[in-house]
Amino acid sequence: MRKLLILCLFVLGLSFTLFNFKGLASQGEFDSIVLDFREDVPAAQITEQVSAIAQQYNLNPRLNSEFSLSDHVYIVKGDRQLLKTLKKSALAKQTEYIEPNYIYKALEVPNDPDYGKQWNLRSINVEQAWEDTKGKDITVAVIDTGVTRVPDLKDTKFVKGYNFITDQIEASDDIGHGTHVAGTIAQSTNNGYGVAGIAYEASIMPIKVLDMGGGTVADIAEGIRFAADNGADVINMSLGGSGESQIMEEAVNYAHAKGVVVVAAAGNESRNSASYPARYPYAIGVAALDAAGQKASYSNFGAGVDISAPGGLTDGENTAGGILQETINYETGLPTFASFQGTSMAAPHVAGVAALVKAAGVKEPDEIINVLKQSARVVQEDPLNHFGAGHLDAAGAVKLAIKGQITFRDFFRWLRDHGYLNPVFWIDGGAIALLPKIAMVLGSYLLAWFLRNYFPFAWSWSLTSGLVAGSSGLFFLRGFYIFDLPQWPFRFMGSSIPELGNTIQGSTALNPFFASVLIPLVLIALLLGHPKWKWLAIGSALGVASCLAVSAVVSPAVWGLGTGVLARGFLIANALLCYGLAHLASKPSEQTA
Amino acid sequence: MSITVTGSIERKGFGPGTWAIVSEDKTYELKNAPEELRKAGLKAKVKGSVRDDVMTFAMIGPVLEVESFETISSD
Repeated sequence: MRKLLILCLFVLGLSFTLFNFKGLASQGEFDSIVLDFREDVPAAQITEQVSAIAQQYNLNPRLNSEFSLSDHVYIVKGDRQLLKTLKKSALAKQTEYIEPNYIYKALEVPNDPDYGKQWNLRSINVEQAWEDTKGKDITVAVIDTGVTRVPDLKDTKFVKGYNFITDQIEASDDIGHGTHVAGTIAQSTNNGYGVAGIAYEASIMPIKVLDMGGGTVADIAEGIRFAADNGADVINMSLGGSGESQIMEEAVNYAHAKGVVVVAAAGNESRNSASYPARYPYAIGVAALDAAGQKASYSNFGAGVDISAPGGLTDGENTAGGILQETINYETGLPTFASFQGTSMAAPHVAGVAALVKAAGVKEPDEIINVLKQSARVVQEDPLNHFGAGHLDAAGAVKLAIKGQITFRDFFRWLRDHGYLNPVFWIDGGAIALLPKIAMVLGSYLLAWFLRNYFPFAWSWSLTSGLVAGSSGLFFLRGFYIFDLPQWPFRFMGSSIPELGNTIQGSTALNPFFASVLIPLVLIALLLGHPKWKWLAIGSALGVASCLAVSAVVSPAVWGLGTGVLARGFLIANALLCYGLAHLASKPSEQTA
Repeated sequence: MSITVTGSIERKGFGPGTWAIVSEDKTYELKNAPEELRKAGLKAKVKGSVRDDVMTFAMIGPVLEVESFETISSD
């Protein structure tokens, strides 16, 4: 069983590595090749060479421009194959270089005059995503305070919505929140006015369920069902509350079953765990980032946060760090450009990108969610789950969607469905840096195997437990979060001995007292007399040795010692001490084994 | 069920803004706060019911529907 588990983890780790390497190859486009002849080659010889190429490869070399003659720069039509042939030919010796004539494209920069203030759109790489899609033929339902057609929504397509407060079709906004949210999703863009939106060729379905004092779960649930029944592809809910509601959860499940992606804000209480409806299994919970990419101070985190996106941070009169869209002024009812902050602003970024992904050809909501999560820019150190799968990346998501290669799709679905079988659990698939953990476990086994060459001993349950406890702990438990409970117990169980010292605080820097030879030393001193338990101590010493050695290479952060040579030296020295300790402790076993 | 919350009134800047009462350990979003209560910095004792069936765009904490209140002089 153990071997099977290790094997599975190994295969999984290997696949992850291969998967990640794929994107590294250079994928530039070109349809011609640049030949730059050496300056010291006489002009007559160059002319000769050029006509030789023309004959041999049936090409028509030409000067790049009238200024190219003195530099001897020629262009020939050709692909990778010809490039390879030319580089290998005798001609290569007479040139300074032969290289692809890459085609550089200008990014899609819209002409909206205040686009420059939208740091949030550039931070999600939307310009690159626009090269492929702008969300055409996709409908995004904005379940909010309604949407008013302000001037910068004039070119945006609208479909029929509904007002559940007054029970009528007209669903305009009297508050100024829903209009702002709709702007982030699909503000009229490239119209020479105002600001831009993410999926500006998508249609908005305005659904009003909130007024100034909020809205009831009954109205919101009906709003969700209305959207699902009337052809919405994506639902955005920049709203939340603390009450669990059956009617609302059922509505979210209904929408999901009808193929709708449901996006919800994580909440602004700066607390551990998202609010409802973000925490429902079939809603993507979105945490907010500030302009520096940090968690915005107000944003909820932990259980229920699936991904993070710009939500902005405003400071009184200084609103430059907020999210700028056109909305209406609550006091006057007139259109105004306003910078808002909140997870309310983060959610529509995800909804907009979900629309782009669907327009790029990914249809199933689960697949769209997986594309969003897999393409997110991973935050390496996120022990409290501030960011979920990472920072939203529109360009990455659209690229992945177009590739249509959703590797691990079924694996993620399995994780998700099994996690949600028990509604109080929530799993963050990206919480653990898997490869170092696998290296630690394998490394500890390797050390044990090595030691066995000197002093033959039998593999035992106690030795294995020691190896696991010392090297990695039950690391998969770190991805578990239980709503409304403190996060540290699972982190504690999911930690190896060296990591215990930094578990409670949720820091990733190792505590030098725990990440050293001290604990194995105490364990061996206490257990050496016992024939069975001593192997637990020896196993833990080997495990710790492996954990420290891998940490020294991968992430040598130790309190008080920094992350440099000092920390590395400390970790390696202690790893060697641990191994030496295990070596000494297992010596007498020659007689007993 | 009614509860009484003592704390200070704050204006929270989410969307067009909302009113909150911040007690020592919790922030409540005020629903239907009367005009006299809408003063940032005011210390008050608010009686009201927590509306678990209400959701809001501000999402700053449980929604407290104001039934009555009294201001507390700060000195």
